[in-house]
Amino acid sequence: MSANNSPQNDRAADPRLEQLAASDESLLHVHDRASAGAPDVGARYQLLPLALLFIFSGLIFYGGTYLNRYSGHFSAEVFDERKLPGGEVQVVQIDPITLGKRQYALACVTCHMPNGQGLPTVYPSLVDSEWVTGSEERLIRIVMHGLKGPVTVKGETFNAAAMPAFGQVPGSGYNWSDERIAAVLTYIRQEWGNDATPIETATVAAVRAEIPARAEWSEAELLAIP
Amino acid sequence: MTTSSSPALAEVSDLDRSARWPLAFLILASLGWLVFSGFTALLNTLQVLEPRLLADCEWFIYGRLQAIQESAFLYGWAVNAALAVGLWLLVRLGGAPLRAANWVAVGALFWNLGLTLGLGGIAAGHMTSFALFQLPDYIQPLMLAAFAAMAAPGVLAWTGRRERPTFASQWYVVAALFLFPWAFSVAQVMLLFAPVRGVLQPIIATWFGQNFLGLFLAPIAIAVLYYLLPKIKGQVLPAYDFAPYGFWALLLFASWTGGRHLIGGPVPAWLPTTAIAAASMLLFHHLILALNLRGLFAPGGSLALKFAAGGLAAYLLSGLSDAVFSMRGLSVITHFTYFEQAQSQLFLGAFSLSIFAAIYTLAPRLLGIVWPSVTLIRAHFLASFIGIPVLVLVLALAGWQQGVALADAEIPLRTIAANTRPWLQVAAAAQAVLLFGNLTFLVHFAGLLCFSRRGGASIAQFRQLQALEATAS
Repeated sequence: MSANNSPQNDRAADPRLEQLAASDESLLHVHDRASAGAPDVGARYQLLPLALLFIFSGLIFYGGTYLNRYSGHFSAEVFDERKLPGGEVQVVQIDPITLGKRQYALACVTCHMPNGQGLPTVYPSLVDSEWVTGSEERLIRIVMHGLKGPVTVKGETFNAAAMPAFGQVPGSGYNWSDERIAAVLTYIRQEWGNDATPIETATVAAVRAEIPARAEWSEAELLAIP
Repeated sequence: MTTSSSPALAEVSDLDRSARWPLAFLILASLGWLVFSGFTALLNTLQVLEPRLLADCEWFIYGRLQAIQESAFLYGWAVNAALAVGLWLLVRLGGAPLRAANWVAVGALFWNLGLTLGLGGIAAGHMTSFALFQLPDYIQPLMLAAFAAMAAPGVLAWTGRRERPTFASQWYVVAALFLFPWAFSVAQVMLLFAPVRGVLQPIIATWFGQNFLGLFLAPIAIAVLYYLLPKIKGQVLPAYDFAPYGFWALLLFASWTGGRHLIGGPVPAWLPTTAIAAASMLLFHHLILALNLRGLFAPGGSLALKFAAGGLAAYLLSGLSDAVFSMRGLSVITHFTYFEQAQSQLFLGAFSLSIFAAIYTLAPRLLGIVWPSVTLIRAHFLASFIGIPVLVLVLALAGWQQGVALADAEIPLRTIAANTRPWLQVAAAAQAVLLFGNLTFLVHFAGLLCFSRRGGASIAQFRQLQALEATAS
């Protein structure tokens, strides 16, 4: 294994010893000078910097386009790269009783009171009222379009106040959606000891589609409806 | 000792002598781990082919053996060798003897001790659940401290350098020395000691894995290529004025590309999307590298240059394949198949080939004697240049076939597994060839060490170094 048996003439070809050509010092200095770029002799146009600039710009253009298309606007909630945040409405089931209670507290409570008893002789009670627990069609119409004129509730006649329109109909100051109306009606039909069936949003929507606009109902008109 | 009267010895300088024993130990340890991981890799593949192999032995069941193999390769071979080569480059280019060499020795000792304990822990079932980060949690802080001890002298060599001008190799090595402990410590805190919750864990884990490979191993390999080419050929690198852009492109984009492993996972879509875009942007780094180092591909290079050329070719191919096969349309096929293993083997092959080139060049300078045997070098060269391409190609083809078949609901899984079998047999053969090659390298280096102790081998006759001529590139 010792080398005295074969001193090779061409030492550069001996793989046992990789010969180096340049000193470290000159390596540093020459490359430091080279890092300033090739001298611009004769003001010749240099193609390489321009080509690299174009390639890098092309990569940035490609990368930027790709990011823009498939990043989902960097939303933490987008997991499919082809979707955008908010592009698809998430259907969340809201408890109609909770929503109805909120709607009731927003508006109805002013006249019908938190306990639903109303004000004797002025605002009719909702508790155990035949209008509330009775026909869905009538009840929906009252809240949707309003009620004016005398009305008899539990044998007592009320004539002092009018019920405004709450639905999304012309002249309504509230514009409640069908879902909200269904919720508030379900709420009053099942609160304070009332025990009637819930009212579906679809039923409310059907009423509004049938009668998109009209003045307040009167008791006689309502009683004509089943 | 006279310094200037003997031109033949001019190159074995005090610089190399100052670093002799710590670096020799690092290289010996790294080669030991390389052979060990090659052996476990072969065993692991044989377990896939013959599931009953060691199935009764709890310590070496498939999963644990895989973790042992991966950790031994990365933390044993790759880190030890990267530090040895990186420190040597910094000392050489810094122009001053290695300061605080004791720190390197102590750090290397504890690093390898910790790794041995960690591998034992994995065998006992204490590994973490994160790829490329599987050492048990109780050993990880020790590894970080040991790494810091080894890296600090490198930083000293950088800050205390004799010359003001710097060279590309120095940028890459210094960056690597800082970036690895950064990623390593962040991963330890966020995954082990104050773990983040749920889906954040795989995100941090892939981020760490990518940084380990892309911002530690890759820069060291690149530093080797940048150094060896002009040193051996005695030529100025062409288009060197663009080298800083290549460096900063790597630093800017490499860290972002990890998310491509999360395609289809339960992570926000922008993470894989950013990774795919970053993998393409990183091609700019590869382009600059190809421009600067194209001289490696010139015919008639020495053996070290051929190793380096293989390393560069594998590195460029690996960058290209990362950019192309991370595209969602192709990833649908290659994800979760042997194809991804082929990609990782290609990258690790690039690293290993570059480091081989460096070790063949630096060891005679470190120890002052020439390599004992030409045959062993040729054997290692052949084994590497047969083993790595065959392994990568076979795994890629197997993975592609596997991916296409997996996408077809008509084909039962059993058939797909049976179809990969012949490919894996060839892969096992390639791994055996690589193991043989690396074993010859280990034996060769051990022989070199013995001869340098006994003084039995020929003293290296170094050629007189020339000043590099600034030529028009």
